[in-house]
Amino acid sequence: MAAWWFWPLFMFVFTLLIGIISPVSGVGGGVLYVPLATVITPFSVDFIRGAGLVMAVTSALSSVPYLIRKGLANIRIFAVIAPVMVITSVVGGWVGLWVTNAYPDGKYVIKVLLGAIILLVFFIMILSKRVEFPEVSEEERDSLSRKLNIWGEYYEPDLDTIVEYTTKNTPMAIVTFAVIGFVAGMFGLGAGWANVPVLNMMMGVPIKVATATSMLIITANAPAIGIYMTRGAILPLIVVPSILGITIGARIGAKVAEIIKPKFVRWLVLAILFIAGVLNIIKGLQGMGVIPPILPGVS
Amino acid sequence: MAEKKGPEREIHVDMMGLAFAKVMTIFTIVGIVLMVIPAIAYFAGINQYVPLTEAHKYWNMSASEFWIHVTGRKITGYAWIFDHLDKMDCLSMIGVLVLMITPLLSMLAGAAKAENGTYRILLLIAALEFIASILVKSIAAAAGGAKKVAGKVKK
Repeated sequence: MAAWWFWPLFMFVFTLLIGIISPVSGVGGGVLYVPLATVITPFSVDFIRGAGLVMAVTSALSSVPYLIRKGLANIRIFAVIAPVMVITSVVGGWVGLWVTNAYPDGKYVIKVLLGAIILLVFFIMILSKRVEFPEVSEEERDSLSRKLNIWGEYYEPDLDTIVEYTTKNTPMAIVTFAVIGFVAGMFGLGAGWANVPVLNMMMGVPIKVATATSMLIITANAPAIGIYMTRGAILPLIVVPSILGITIGARIGAKVAEIIKPKFVRWLVLAILFIAGVLNIIKGLQGMGVIPPILPGVS
Repeated sequence: MAEKKGPEREIHVDMMGLAFAKVMTIFTIVGIVLMVIPAIAYFAGINQYVPLTEAHKYWNMSASEFWIHVTGRKITGYAWIFDHLDKMDCLSMIGVLVLMITPLLSMLAGAAKAENGTYRILLLIAALEFIASILVKSIAAAAGGAKKVAGKVKK
């Protein structure tokens, strides 16, 4: 058995690498952190989900103020979505811990569900076609968007101009975000993987605004931290190295993004997600006794 | 290649957005500092509630099983933090609590500066939901606290 300090140190290096990959791939830290840490490390899935949530929220809190000032993160869209997501993310977090604790095989069920969600993310990422500057005509605007005057603008260096935008399908998007909040809370994930396609493809906001506003929305998941904390599922020896790792890694990643091809990293992330999803499902099923032991270290 | 001139005018950002961003910046820094400094002391072996060598043995168990083995108590609220603020690992959790309520403080700041009544109401609803969800957990904590589990001795 490794000395106690090995795994916190490992978490630091591990999250440092995730932090480097995240800014160039557009995948939030949590969605890589939770499934991979569940497979690689000896920590209970409870502690990993708790740390994943704190990590996702902290990295969002760190970047959102800058994005708002640049006009990229839209507070109007956030104000419409937050009242729904705050509630559903808390319910999701509670259900996740309840499943783990109420049933003897709960943690294995969570692992199977987590694997399924990760594979879903994998397919969404493969199939989604992001649109850089979707156009929403006045006819396409829904009545809620008109009533609330949801709009925004930002400077686009590639076009050397100020891009103005508005939204469509707002009521449908609100319902979708309710479901996303539940899933993100339940699995301790940031919700960037789902927020971005909904904002971009369903609501019709530019991809940069979708990515930035997604970070703003992720901050609404913060109350779910309380659930993990009141169950003792947040331990500093896991959380603190992870926060430091992802914070430093994201800064390095921003520099790396300038020299590495994002397409390569995207496929790298897809490969990681696929492997993590499959491994989680196998580990869960063998823990439940559904399949014979294939992988070592089921706990 | 044509030289980029930058935006021809200032980008319009809502006052509520700017207020939101300012409060978020301040409290995120405060939260991270409050989390990291006691954690360094914890890793250095100073005043630990959960000894690192003990945590090491049980961190593969579910959260409830972990606490029963390490402290002889089941954790059901915030008492494990506030009852042991002299312990560095518990003190470090105050930083996490600050990070948790930072969006709430930002929403209140945004609502205060909102130029549109509807957005003020929406942000206040989100803030109230935020407070309610935290209060529900606090009530559960007051009812449960750190429950003693028979047959286990608290260290």
